Amino acid sequence: MSFFTSFYNKVFSFFKPQEVSEDNSVKEVARSRLKLVLMQDRTNLTPKILEQMRGELIDLLSKYVELDKDLLELNFEQEGDQVALMLSIPVIRAKDEKEIEEALKKDALLKGIKLADDDEEEESAESETADDESEDNTADDNNEEESTESVEEENSSEEHNSDNQENTAETV
Amino acid sequence: MSGRVIVITSGKGGVGKTTTSANIGTALAKAGNKVVLIDTDIGLRNLDLLLGLENRIVYTIVDVVEERCKLKQALVKDKKNPNLSLLAAAQTRDKSAVTQEQLKEICETLKKDNDFILVDCPAGIEQGFQNAIAGASEAIVVTTPEMSAIRDADRIIGLLSAREEIESYKLLLNRVRPNLIATNDMMSVEDVVELLACDLIGIIPEDTGIISSTNKGDPIVNDEKSLAGQAYRNVARRIMGEEVEFLNLEEDKNFFGKIKNFFEKTIKDIKAKI
Repeated sequence: MSFFTSFYNKVFSFFKPQEVSEDNSVKEVARSRLKLVLMQDRTNLTPKILEQMRGELIDLLSKYVELDKDLLELNFEQEGDQVALMLSIPVIRAKDEKEIEEALKKDALLKGIKLADDDEEEESAESETADDESEDNTADDNNEEESTESVEEENSSEEHNSDNQENTAETV
Repeated sequence: MSGRVIVITSGKGGVGKTTTSANIGTALAKAGNKVVLIDTDIGLRNLDLLLGLENRIVYTIVDVVEERCKLKQALVKDKKNPNLSLLAAAQTRDKSAVTQEQLKEICETLKKDNDFILVDCPAGIEQGFQNAIAGASEAIVVTTPEMSAIRDADRIIGLLSAREEIESYKLLLNRVRPNLIATNDMMSVEDVVELLACDLIGIIPEDTGIISSTNKGDPIVNDEKSLAGQAYRNVARRIMGEEVEFLNLEEDKNFFGKIKNFFEKTIKDIKAKI
């Protein structure tokens, strides 16, 4: 009996199409590597900046919703001539008002401290030699403000379909 | 008559720009069009070799620009097809020997009594490339399903799309190897098209016949049996506005698929005969 089954398996495997692994195939590696590199070429965004952007987005969104940080996906997609930034955020649960308020307060407090730091630095810079650091910090603050605005837009759209993982897009 | 000026470019070297120029040019001429091929790869000319015309070149594009001869004198007629002629690049000069304006002027003049002017572009995105695209209103971007060729093609597409004079640009995927695609070792045609977000004008299978055709100085479109030749002829028909289906290069991997393909083919043949 076992002879027959092994014979059957042999014959069967002869006719069966060769198994090709889809995800780890050379082709898939090439495709995903290229996808990333083309996006970087097209937008001039370095992996470091992307990582920073990702981190800031997580910090910001975490104030309002509890999200699965590891599964957050940030991708660029080409739609015709335009490049779209696709953000997929697995939401664990929405925070209630109290929590949001607390988070916002905490944030405001942190920002207050940061601003105060900047002032001190500026003063010290003025008193001593001109330092680049203070300039850098103010530039960073500007960036943060910009990203806050854009993500708030995303939040409004999130409310409409908060059941699923949201795909919010922002054109770059 | 106002001919169409099409530049054949790629960014990366060695992906088959010159082979493509020679074959599309020959195929267009065979279909009855008046065609001029311009080699703009000054200093590294090769289009003459692929057409088997290397011994007939007296004047080059630089001679035309520097007014040592008339444009008509510099056009070398193809051996087989009087509809096809070549304006060769100079071998002893460099890319700065011709300016963008001069190339544009040459294209404008040739437009008047030709259906197609194909400009074979040098590799790179520097002056040679800028010169080559100067007179063109259409472009064919040649690439292969390899990482570096695709990346370079993407740069070229970016540069072409930023240029108002270029009304349309299409992708030609060269050296496709169906057996490697079948085992998932090579990106498929769909993958490349998706990555580059550009319309296709042709898919050319890898063909060892290209080597011997280059060695003979006879473009592979002249070989009626060659699959790559067929693919290039199809590209020429698409350029002329015909709708031609892409060749099905993917073979069915398993035994039954092969049998099925065989029967389908036979039935098709029989139906065609009836």
